[in-house]
Amino acid sequence: MSTSVEQITGADRTGPGSGEVAAFRNVSKTFGTVKAVNDISLVLHPGETVAFLGPNGAGKSTSIDMLLGLREPTSGSVTLFGGTPRQAIVDGRVGVMLQSGGLMPDVKVRELVSFACGIHPRGRSVDDVLKSAGITDIADRKVDKLSGGQEQRVRFALAVAGDSDLIVLDEPTTGMDVTARQAFWSVMRAQADEGRTVLFATHYLEEADSIADRVLVVHKGRLIADGTAAEIKARAGLRKIAFDLHPDDGTPDLALLNNLPELSGLDISGHTVRIRSNDSDATVAAIYRAGFYPRGLEVTSVGLEQAFIAITGEQDAADESASLDKETAR
Amino acid sequence: MTTLIKLEIMRVLRNRRYLFFTVIYPVALYALMLTAYGKTSDLSGVSVKAYFMVSMATLGTVGAALTGNAQRISLERKSGWTRQLRLTALPSWGYVVAKIAAVAAATLPAILAVFLFGFLEGVKLSAVEWIALGLTLWVGGFVFAALGVAIGYAAGPDSVQPIVMICYMGMVLLGGTWFPLSGSFGDFAKWTPVAIYNQLGRIAQAGASVDMKQLVAAAAYLAVFVGLAAWLYQRDRKEA
Repeated sequence: MSTSVEQITGADRTGPGSGEVAAFRNVSKTFGTVKAVNDISLVLHPGETVAFLGPNGAGKSTSIDMLLGLREPTSGSVTLFGGTPRQAIVDGRVGVMLQSGGLMPDVKVRELVSFACGIHPRGRSVDDVLKSAGITDIADRKVDKLSGGQEQRVRFALAVAGDSDLIVLDEPTTGMDVTARQAFWSVMRAQADEGRTVLFATHYLEEADSIADRVLVVHKGRLIADGTAAEIKARAGLRKIAFDLHPDDGTPDLALLNNLPELSGLDISGHTVRIRSNDSDATVAAIYRAGFYPRGLEVTSVGLEQAFIAITGEQDAADESASLDKETAR
Repeated sequence: MTTLIKLEIMRVLRNRRYLFFTVIYPVALYALMLTAYGKTSDLSGVSVKAYFMVSMATLGTVGAALTGNAQRISLERKSGWTRQLRLTALPSWGYVVAKIAAVAAATLPAILAVFLFGFLEGVKLSAVEWIALGLTLWVGGFVFAALGVAIGYAAGPDSVQPIVMICYMGMVLLGGTWFPLSGSFGDFAKWTPVAIYNQLGRIAQAGASVDMKQLVAAAAYLAVFVGLAAWLYQRDRKEA
């Protein structure tokens, strides 16, 4: 590929460190007639904690498979630490926790973990790994006699069995209860604090919101957003404005509310007004100009979840009009 | 790599089903056969005791090679363990090598158990003949280990068991393991894999000179099964 890195990084973030951990350059993957991944370009930088968001079937798992060299892209190139994914794995620079990573049955947890530590070119001590994954107490249990949550922790132990620079987690907390999930992320944060790059796929938006310092959104095989959670929410543009109108403050014409600028939603129940706005500053200023006296005014951003729905919805609408254009062109 | 081989061997030896199918079952059948053929003095020119010592030893090794590996590889492909292994520094062929090593380790006790029973029953061989026979049977087991790998990569967990059973029963029957096959059917059957395996065992047992045709046939089966296993393995990796 002749395209330069600068051109591709798009948002031009260098993140906590500069350099390149992983790079997708115009990567596409087709299965028959289905385009699972459509021209994705992105660069991961050292020390970033990146959430990979998207609905089921968006192309997350296919992208992760290509990142790890389990699948070859149909076109474009994938590099890890400047080389092939396989080379990075052989060099012990990548630790992986797969969504459906099976475990070897008939062996004890400790035996499996010591195998993983032994095979890793930069393996950590078995006891350390058991401890950081919180499985010291089940080290002598057979792998096939574990509960779902315990199995998930053993899988995590395999991902951190060595001193890897990049940790990739595909839906790591699926099937965990809330406490287990919190415990998991606190361990994961410790890994990130040691300067490792962490990439995790999830469909729990609150995880992306609270843990990641960069969020990638894929939808229908395309990368449709790349930025901090705040940037993505801002891009969705929506803010919620809520206030009360007190009868003592006079009764201006409620119909005026309909004429507020940048309005994308209005709900009046009793004295309470709830507004969704694409530009909260303009809307709030207009509320005062119209002679309203709002009490207890609150401006809040929508959650990442609503932002997510908003931007994937935009994308769908754009796709639809594009295909309509095609129809009319015929 | 060696850790994986050790783990795989440990798994096999810990498995009770393995113990039953490859160690206890052939020895028990051996005892049963001797009772059944009690009055017959020889089969195909060798004593009944010696005939079935080879038959039951090959039964054990073929069983170990097919049931163990085929099923496990199939299940571990499905569960994602093979994918997980591909994300370690382990060489790509490491998994298959460890599986075959585990079979090789598993077949030894099976052979030795049958030998011990035969010896106690009065089978008389010189030390060289015992060793030659043991080695022939052990090395021959690799042919079936390769077939086990091929089946493991060809079949899903739901269908692997019947496929293994059909291959196992069919080959063992045609191989003359239960009784010598004769006539034109016997002429065909004697070129099936287990039949060749049994014949090579008998040649080693009798200390006779090796028949090239059978050796070539055994090598051909090994080449075909290894080729099949390699091809199916590559296909599996492409599907990720």
